[in-house]
Amino acid sequence: MGIDALRIEVQCDVSGGLPLFHVVGLPEKEVSESRERIRSAIKNSGLQFPAGRITANLAPADVRKEGVGFDLPIAVAILVASGQIPPLDEDLCLVGELALDGEVRGVRGVLPIAAEAASAGMIVPLANAVEAAVGSQGPVYPVRSLDEARRFLCREIEIAPFAVDCDELMRECTEDIRHDMAEVRGQMQAKRAIEVAAAGGHNLLMIGPPGSGKSLMARCLPEILPPMSFDEALEVTRIYSIAGLLDGPSLVGRRPFRAPHQTISYAGMVGGGHGVPGPGEISLAHHGVLFLDELPEFDRRVLETLRQPLEDRTVLLSRAGVSVRYPSSFTLIAAMNPCPCGYLGDALKPCVCSLVDVRRYRKRLSGPFLDRIDLFVEVPRLSVEDLFHARPADGSDAIRRRVSDARRRQWDRLASEQDCHSNAQLDGEALERHCPLEEDASLLLQRAVARFALSARAHVRILRVARTIADLDGTDDLSAAHVAEAIRYRTAGESLGEH
Amino acid sequence: MSEKTSGERAEAAACDLLRDCGYEIVARNWRTRRGEIDIVARDGPVLAMVEVKARSGQAYGRPEEAVDRAKQRRIVAATRAFLAATGCSLAVRFDVVTFLDGAPRLFRDAFQAGDECSHDS
Repeated sequence: MGIDALRIEVQCDVSGGLPLFHVVGLPEKEVSESRERIRSAIKNSGLQFPAGRITANLAPADVRKEGVGFDLPIAVAILVASGQIPPLDEDLCLVGELALDGEVRGVRGVLPIAAEAASAGMIVPLANAVEAAVGSQGPVYPVRSLDEARRFLCREIEIAPFAVDCDELMRECTEDIRHDMAEVRGQMQAKRAIEVAAAGGHNLLMIGPPGSGKSLMARCLPEILPPMSFDEALEVTRIYSIAGLLDGPSLVGRRPFRAPHQTISYAGMVGGGHGVPGPGEISLAHHGVLFLDELPEFDRRVLETLRQPLEDRTVLLSRAGVSVRYPSSFTLIAAMNPCPCGYLGDALKPCVCSLVDVRRYRKRLSGPFLDRIDLFVEVPRLSVEDLFHARPADGSDAIRRRVSDARRRQWDRLASEQDCHSNAQLDGEALERHCPLEEDASLLLQRAVARFALSARAHVRILRVARTIADLDGTDDLSAAHVAEAIRYRTAGESLGEH
Repeated sequence: MSEKTSGERAEAAACDLLRDCGYEIVARNWRTRRGEIDIVARDGPVLAMVEVKARSGQAYGRPEEAVDRAKQRRIVAATRAFLAATGCSLAVRFDVVTFLDGAPRLFRDAFQAGDECSHDS
């Protein structure tokens, strides 16, 4: 359930009487329908579909079963019950959908199943072989057809266990850089903010007119984050496996970048759907970046649902009969225009919005939502000099090295803290302890709190961001310069909070 | 020999066909108020309930299509009665034998009890 699989035991009984084929154990529609596929597949594989009454039970019987992966195990159970296959090792795990001609087709969510499979091994569709081998401890036997599975189980043929080189897979999917920070002209301040966001896992809101490079910079973020560890990649791959988004590469080794459209529904964002709820965008962005362009255009209710996952880094979806938990530890990058027309505060183009328009536009973002954003940065329109005479800027490679160093400092420092892996998660007493302020830095912070009437929460945000800036600098103590930069990222957002 | 209907001739031909296929005829034209089984036959360990359909030409569709859901229900009902009456506990299978312009065809396991969509109904 969720990203963890549950072992289902398939039992089958063939008895005398009228020919009837039942599947019991809370099957959803697609599992009940499997009866027709299984019957045809068995007949068309040149095997006997036994006469009489057949009952297949999926135990434990009180959990709803969905998905087409039960086709193959039920078919094999029938063949065992009718003596066409010798009794199996009880720990053997099977998964696969059957086509009418007996071909075994790939299914979604094989990776979590593989992780749960015992050392007795598993039989999987050929299409899922790589995925299964990545996650499984035991041997993985890929099959193309029901008859191939039968012959293997009858020991008529040998199937070599499928093996993959996980290191090689990881290398393959992390090689090239797709978006390079060096491509972004100018915008030194915004780039710096992105770097800080990457280094500390902070959420960031960019405010600027259209065409200033907000989207491009956001797209660069996954590439300047340190590469995922294999365990992280496995966790992300599980989510993609469940969502059925795992086509092509069988391992998601690159940090995800999800940029849902503004019209996204609440179920699409946090997860949901028919039957057992599936993962939403926030889970697909796990260990990566969720980019919300044109933030105020999103349905306010959808944005409000993000508040809890942003805090807990996981989301619990409860429905009648089932509740599943998906991880959702992502960095939120949002972008918006300063006003509906986009040119408020622009040096050259006049803004045509009325004050009421601007206020209404900004009111779409609630205070509690904005409270969860650490960094605010203005992304002004590029000047002519920036466009045509841009100084060469740091590429993603160089930035990633700095970010990785800063992250390493955090990990070392936070190793003893529970459930806290980045500065963005620092809180309460731990925050105070890990943010030793130099004297003038402390003074500066006090003055800023008084001058800008900053809330306690804003104060906490500033400390966290200052901590990250110091980490990028490679120092343990927070200097006045670090705090000053952090305050700047805060004050850019203060105007948004005034409704 | 007395005059026979085409249906009776087809059933006799079906019996010959089934014997050739290794079936052992148990009963013919087993009737209840709710339905009728044309032929009851043993096929190894299985008891086969055989429905016979003959057609000359396909003007009204193929003969196997005539074994529709209503017909299947009648056969299933009759089979229940047969099993109850004989106390038989063998596994049961439903077969259909068709004659199209005299050409026979045997459909093993043509439908299942409680089936809603299998077979061409």
